[in-house]
Amino acid sequence: MSAATPRLRIAAGSAYAGDDLRRARVAAESGVDVMCFDRLAERTLAMAHARQVSAGRGQDEEIDEILAVSEAVLRRGGRVIGNFGAANVAAGLSDTVAALRAMGLAGTTVGAIHGDDVTDLARRSDWELPEFGGTTADLGDRLVAAHAYIGADLILSALHAGAQVVIGGRLADPSLFVAPICAALDWALDDWDRVATATCVGHLLECGAHVTGGNFVDPPVRTLPDPHRLGVPIAEVYDDGVIVTKPAGTGGGVTVGTVKTQLLYEIHDPSSYVTPDVVADFSTIRVEPAGPDRVRVGPAKGKARPDQLKVLVGVNLGWRVVAEISFGGLGCVDRARLAEDIVRRQLADGAVPVDRLRADLIGVDSLGRVGGGPNDRPPAEPREVRLRVAAICPQRDAAREVARAVDYLYLGPAGAGGAVSRVEPAIGVTPAYVDRTVVPTDVEVIKA
Amino acid sequence: MRLRDIAYARSGDKGDTVNICVFPYNDGHYDHLRRQVTAERVREHFRDLVRGPVTRYEVPALCGLNFVLEQALDGGVSMSLRIDPHGKAFGSQLLDLEIEAPGADT
Repeated sequence: MSAATPRLRIAAGSAYAGDDLRRARVAAESGVDVMCFDRLAERTLAMAHARQVSAGRGQDEEIDEILAVSEAVLRRGGRVIGNFGAANVAAGLSDTVAALRAMGLAGTTVGAIHGDDVTDLARRSDWELPEFGGTTADLGDRLVAAHAYIGADLILSALHAGAQVVIGGRLADPSLFVAPICAALDWALDDWDRVATATCVGHLLECGAHVTGGNFVDPPVRTLPDPHRLGVPIAEVYDDGVIVTKPAGTGGGVTVGTVKTQLLYEIHDPSSYVTPDVVADFSTIRVEPAGPDRVRVGPAKGKARPDQLKVLVGVNLGWRVVAEISFGGLGCVDRARLAEDIVRRQLADGAVPVDRLRADLIGVDSLGRVGGGPNDRPPAEPREVRLRVAAICPQRDAAREVARAVDYLYLGPAGAGGAVSRVEPAIGVTPAYVDRTVVPTDVEVIKA
Repeated sequence: MRLRDIAYARSGDKGDTVNICVFPYNDGHYDHLRRQVTAERVREHFRDLVRGPVTRYEVPALCGLNFVLEQALDGGVSMSLRIDPHGKAFGSQLLDLEIEAPGADT
């Protein structure tokens, strides 16, 4: 790395809605230039859309907190970028403006990316659903939502228009990072190798503490210090390379191991990672130690971005119920299996309409039987087990009947205890792929 | 010995597909892992969970293997009735695989 001072220091403030935003404040106060907040997972957006339909509040519910933890960055003139518009970008924009004014930051330039919500277009279109089967038109009123993944080009337009805060809906996770990196280093969006390297940075950071020790430790073979206070990741971007690190004094670690496992996380062919911005090749990337909690990464190779955008289509599947109850002591597995049989028979006798139902014994085989090789020993009989019944039903009342059948097990086999249940709308999410020209995007830039 | 004795792994989901990346602690064991942890063995290990094909990608620059398991999540995170709809446990479950100890060949 030739330069001593990075051209850009960029941090991931969150990896999903519900992430610990206190960690983001530590990074913001460590002097980074840009904070990116990924707030959406495949299911989160469909849930946000349901919230939008039922209550008109499809935007992220923590926008004021996102901006509050980023205050140090904003006051230094740095940037905050995120998909916290979720399923209502316009309402998210007004929440953003209100929060900035309340913080004494009136006048801050805010950019909003519109157009990812293609629900109406999907209803009128015959987009194929390769995983679900059929087309969007076939779904009729079961189609709850459709959102297109938006790339770095529109975020970059907002940044070039002076936006200090950029908000959108289904902005693609790595694109949140690609735009500010390309803006700061003056990398062109059709310089595919550099966009691939920026995408690599985004991919490594978008899952937050995944690259600083989250989802990693496995004692005693693999440990890191203080996993109760992990840091969020920071990338230092130089003209000729990238260092991944984390704020001083935070727990966890940035090691070759944490970086490698994140580099291939949720990747299929490592030589062909497709985003709205590029087809990135991560297969030749070098990952090398560069000091304590510092790992040098890159560069990546890239090919031209795809002509199609991925669209996530939300489908109303009815109602989901999950209900559990415990059995303990000798013979608990036999009693739990009898309990499962009782539930199945009661539902059949009562003619409760159930689309799909499964029952698992937690502590025995609920994660599925794996292995079974000649050297595998049969597991010892457990002294406690939890029966879990999960179902999808066409109506809410039927889902409640499933929960009740589990609750009745207090009077089933001996010693059942601790029943809990949850009934919620079942929204499935499945991909479609559409020509990017049909997605009507727009960038709005205003003063708070 | 178990795969966990010489390697670590992480799994994640996209739709109904799970990927598991596997790395040896010692880069010198990469070729041994290539020989021991084949797509066929991974398919067999997860035969009760995975209905589709298993593809293995080799990434020598990282000394890593990436396994892609299709139709592996009972429809994917939003449709699955399983207790681990994200497939986060697959990585640790793969580390249970019985393998031969690396010997003079590494």
